[in-house]
Amino acid sequence: MAAEPPKRQKREEYKRSLAADDGALPKKKFFRQRAHANPFSDHALTYPKSPAEMDWASVYPAFAVKKPAQGEDVKEIDESRADGQAAHKEEQKKTRAITKDVEIADIGCGFGGLLFALSTTFPDTLSLVTEYVQEKIRALRSQNAENQAYQNIGCLRANTMKFLPNFFRKHQLRAIFLCFPDPHFKQRKHKARIVSSPLCSEYAYVMKPGGYVYTITDVRDLHEWMVGHFAGHASWARVEGSELAEGEVGQCVATMSTETEEGKKVTRNNGQKFIAVFRRVEDPAWLGEEHGQT
Amino acid sequence: MTLPYQCLAACTRPVSDGHEWLLFGATGSELVAQSSSGIVSTWTPESAILAESDREDAQEGPPAKRAKLTPVAEPKPNLSHLKVTKDGTYLVAVTAEDKCIRVFQIGDQCRLEQLSQRCMAKRPSSITLTADDSIILCADKFGDVYSLPLLSSPEDEQAVIPEPKEDQKKFEPSASVLTVHSGRNRKALEEQLKQAQKGPKQVKDTPKFKHQLIIGHVSMLTDVVCATIGSRSYILTADRDEHIRVSRGLPQAHIIDGFCQGHEEFVSRLCFTKSGRLVSGGGDPYLYLWDWLSYHLEEKLPLQELIFGHYKGHPYHTGAAEFKVAVSGIWAVPDSAQEILVACEGIPALVSFKLGSSSRTGKVLPLNGNVLDLAFIASDAGGAIAAISIDHVHHPGSTQEVRQEPGASRLQCLSNYNSGEWEDDKTLTGSLERFSRPMPNEERESGIASEADRGKADNKAKALRDLLYGVENLRKRPGAED
Ligand SMILES: C[S@@+](CC[C@H](N)C(=O)[O-])C[C@H]1O[C@@H](n2cnc3c(N)ncnc32)[C@H](O)[C@@H]1O
Repeated sequence: MAAEPPKRQKREEYKRSLAADDGALPKKKFFRQRAHANPFSDHALTYPKSPAEMDWASVYPAFAVKKPAQGEDVKEIDESRADGQAAHKEEQKKTRAITKDVEIADIGCGFGGLLFALSTTFPDTLSLVTEYVQEKIRALRSQNAENQAYQNIGCLRANTMKFLPNFFRKHQLRAIFLCFPDPHFKQRKHKARIVSSPLCSEYAYVMKPGGYVYTITDVRDLHEWMVGHFAGHASWARVEGSELAEGEVGQCVATMSTETEEGKKVTRNNGQKFIAVFRRVEDPAWLGEEHGQT
Repeated sequence: MTLPYQCLAACTRPVSDGHEWLLFGATGSELVAQSSSGIVSTWTPESAILAESDREDAQEGPPAKRAKLTPVAEPKPNLSHLKVTKDGTYLVAVTAEDKCIRVFQIGDQCRLEQLSQRCMAKRPSSITLTADDSIILCADKFGDVYSLPLLSSPEDEQAVIPEPKEDQKKFEPSASVLTVHSGRNRKALEEQLKQAQKGPKQVKDTPKFKHQLIIGHVSMLTDVVCATIGSRSYILTADRDEHIRVSRGLPQAHIIDGFCQGHEEFVSRLCFTKSGRLVSGGGDPYLYLWDWLSYHLEEKLPLQELIFGHYKGHPYHTGAAEFKVAVSGIWAVPDSAQEILVACEGIPALVSFKLGSSSRTGKVLPLNGNVLDLAFIASDAGGAIAAISIDHVHHPGSTQEVRQEPGASRLQCLSNYNSGEWEDDKTLTGSLERFSRPMPNEERESGIASEADRGKADNKAKALRDLLYGVENLRKRPGAED
């Protein structure tokens, strides 16, 4: 193999230096945003078998149920006993658990601008993709060690189109952001889009009734596509009018328009931003059980 | 060469003097039916029928692929799935290469009359029928489940509602130069504009019959099954990414009720025991037993270990490290609340698990060759008879080596009504002699190999392997792309 291209070499060197200094903020130019991730293949990414097995404590150490720092008392586990394995599993679950649930997810976070803004507005946010964000969270946490800021945000690399239910329980989330998703212009690639009617079912599964999906894009076609699919799905209702400007919804809409990196770019270019918000409606009664249910 | 039966199906139906059973087998592109009275009939897809699916395929791929598909002498498509309605009136069959769902009326004398053929956009990977047998659910390799009426009424054919999202309006670029910021998006936009100058894009040929997308995974689907518990109906789907999803039944299938989580490899088969529990299997060394309504994994039943132990020293047996099982079939034994039979790819045996008993270790039932499929036939003597399709081409225990000794039967029958244990049923094997022996015209082209492959024995052998053994291929290999 030929020598490493200088750019990549610089990037590696830079990352090494970062690792040595906890408080240094990473420079964006040394990180690449993953171009059009292929949602059908990413076999290399790891994911938990179920939400219960997710190691949330490593993402949100300040919220860990069992803090490893305070003189870990490792219990002796007798693996040979029939219940040894179960006991071990329980123990493992405890060390991985956190004291409160992740409730907000920014799917396809890019450089994570939204995440950092949300950190101060809302208690818990979970964001996906890009190591840059991980580094930045680490730096900000260590800079703000005394006031415990930025402990409430985390970042995972995951293919959400396949594995969302591996991370989140039924009805766990109260907000999902889909900001400037990859447009996948070609019709042949439409199944790669982050919004489709089957995926609307999956978003509905992880979302509490009454929770919201926020979408924003600069591509009109994609906007219409997302609106068509969410509004056409029985689990979602489009939020319109003054409601868009009020309360938490209003806060979220404003933040995603101004704080995402893509959003800032569009503003600089005087581009258009298309925004839509959808509320998760209650599931209807099972067929034939409409009466006698309250 | 006579091909083995890659799939089987059976049913019982009333006749003037009681009941008769019917057994259906798919061998390459040929469908064979036999009734208990001994009548045999066969059906093969007409070549004329293929003309249509050719056109369909041609729209899809890039020009190179299109050209390859044009030759007129297309091989007949191989059958990949069979399903009979409970009353024994209709048979649903899938042909793989043309992605077609075909519905047959089962007439007198086992005659099969094709009522409809509906070619799907993607290759079906599993089909099932809803509890009332009125709707076909078709799961495909792209991860989607479509519902289609079993019998299409004339209104259905007319009321073809084109899916609005696929509808191409007058071309308008999806973005403008002003609104596209990243280099890669700009390139995509340029492409789009170029396309537009070439004239309107070919509208992809969506099927012209009533069909509805009801469920979708972003992963290859491997199985779809329906269940009814009290007044509630459910649809369960399994995929290559270890998921078992439980959705509500129609018309609420857009609501996901939950997931049975725990598999670490692909899931290939789902089966309900007669008592209502769920058994799933795939690339894991265990079968998983679920209290599925509460999404609780009750138990993992060792399968790989059991089979490995039984076949130690077998000539085609690999060492312990490489030995892996891939579950290709799970069947609930009729008239037994808890017993299931399990087949793994390339294993010349079935494994029986009696899930009610305290000891849940399985029992290996050795057979004359690798198990391809199984169908239960109701026996007059009470108890069940299992008609088992045997790979008579490959050596028992191997999916590669061809048998040396000729003349092995394509079918083996086991029954449990004598002792409660499974034993060879010679009576039924005898009455199914016509069904199991090689076709009369030995030299007739079987349809498995394409025109270009004719005479190329290697390609033929590979085509047969692909037809019979696709489950282990679902296993993800490190670094491999889909
Ligand atoms: C154009 S960027 C938008 C970044 C950010 N939301 C913003 O507005 O600045 C799209 C992001 O989606 C991510 N992405 C694409 N497909 C994904 C998938 N299946 N699962 C998770 N993230 C995905 C990409 O890695 C990329 O970071």
